[in-house]
Amino acid sequence: MMENTTPMIRLTDVDICFYVQENGFISMKEFFLNPGKYKLLQKSFVLKNINLQINKGECFALLGKNGSGKSTLLRALSGIITPDKGKIELFGAVAPLLGLGVGLEPELTGLENINLSCALMGMTKAEIRKTLPEIIEFSELGEAVNWQVKRYSTGMMSRLSFSIAIVMQPEILLIDEVLSVGDLGFQHKCLKKVMEIKEKGATIIFVSHNFDEVSNMCTRAALVNHGTVEFIGTVEEVGERYHKLFEN
Amino acid sequence: MPKTILLNPGFRNAVLSLAVKTIKLRYKNSFLGLFWSMLNPLFFLSIIVVVFKHVNHIENFALYALSGLIFWNFISASILQVLTSFIDNAPILKSINLHPLSFPLSAMLAAIFNLLLSLIPFFIIMFFLGYKIDYSFLAFFPYLIITAVFVLGLGMFFGTINVYFRDIQLLWTTIIPAFFYFTPIAYTPELVPEAQRFLLKLNPFYYFIESFHDIFFRSKFPSWENLGISALLASISIVLGYAAFNKYRKGFISNI
Repeated sequence: MMENTTPMIRLTDVDICFYVQENGFISMKEFFLNPGKYKLLQKSFVLKNINLQINKGECFALLGKNGSGKSTLLRALSGIITPDKGKIELFGAVAPLLGLGVGLEPELTGLENINLSCALMGMTKAEIRKTLPEIIEFSELGEAVNWQVKRYSTGMMSRLSFSIAIVMQPEILLIDEVLSVGDLGFQHKCLKKVMEIKEKGATIIFVSHNFDEVSNMCTRAALVNHGTVEFIGTVEEVGERYHKLFEN
Repeated sequence: MPKTILLNPGFRNAVLSLAVKTIKLRYKNSFLGLFWSMLNPLFFLSIIVVVFKHVNHIENFALYALSGLIFWNFISASILQVLTSFIDNAPILKSINLHPLSFPLSAMLAAIFNLLLSLIPFFIIMFFLGYKIDYSFLAFFPYLIITAVFVLGLGMFFGTINVYFRDIQLLWTTIIPAFFYFTPIAYTPELVPEAQRFLLKLNPFYYFIESFHDIFFRSKFPSWENLGISALLASISIVLGYAAFNKYRKGFISNI
């Protein structure tokens, strides 16, 4: 396949900090008694000086240990976190799949949950009405779509949320270790759907600890370690370095 | 900035859907649904009437107490709901790109809807207790909006601090009964000696509750003084609440 080099995502000198309140009530007292002297929140770097370009049609993997900042990077790309410094440029609509099942309300029915989740993703009523049949069909829930979600099995729940997340026809898809859901049949279907979206020219960023999955799907990857991008290269090169991290 | 987001149809639909969810959850699994949101004030009403009837020498004390209680319950409960809305929605806050302003707004909206719904049966009881509906009732809806703005600002202010210091919500639930006795609900302001009556007016809730007393008990328009002070309090509250929220929301994700 010809590599297209139109950028879809570009990060320039991006810093992301967490603002943490560490000292509890004592510091609150200090804070109010000495106005201006103390800061309420301490700043700590989660990602520092990130430079990254991902091109149109690429399937890009992020590898790294737990807590290295991969999920924060995806959150920044999806707009949940704004960077403290630097620039994030996105050249298309983003669909984040960070944590499936978020926002699902066990007491409500599947159908009510589809409406709710779509609304939370920013869709209007008309848009939801249009995509509703497609979501229901893809989820293969059938009759169960009218059940309360608390009666669903874990797999059914994941199917529901995956179907909701995928329906937007995104140009950029962010996937955070969520593909290993449902039974084998549905996993396969999800992967197929992701590939289908990729075929249509979408860009995919993929976080997973399952290296086999990553190397099957992706061509390029980045190694994230201690909040910086240590290395960018082919999946094989990055995988090798990733495995080295755990050697000693 | 808040103006542009409030006009965004996707954002408005999200706020509305969250509010509808809250309401649905509240009534879904309870058989007696609405009855529960009435039971608490009615229970309190009977206590207050029994205990305080002989202290308050006013005609129709039960209506006075009920009209105060309904709105006291609304104010105190909705502040807590707005206050905890960020924490209640932590998973959504962390993984869906939705402006966090939607959480307090939807909590407030659900509380208003809940109040309006419970007002239907309460009206029947109030008429039964001798409420005479009058033109002054027209003041109710504008006043409800002023009250909601006040509650929203206060809830957002403390809700923002609460993300960093969870003690705030405990503190609030501890303090609120004290405010209940500080506000003329179980007694009339006239019962407080003239010389100390100014103390009552230090309590911001005084102006709101007294205005609702005016509308539903005295069947007259709230005084200009109370209206003016309520509107001023609401403006201060929403400005402070939004400023605190806007300044400290960047740390929400790392602390929730």
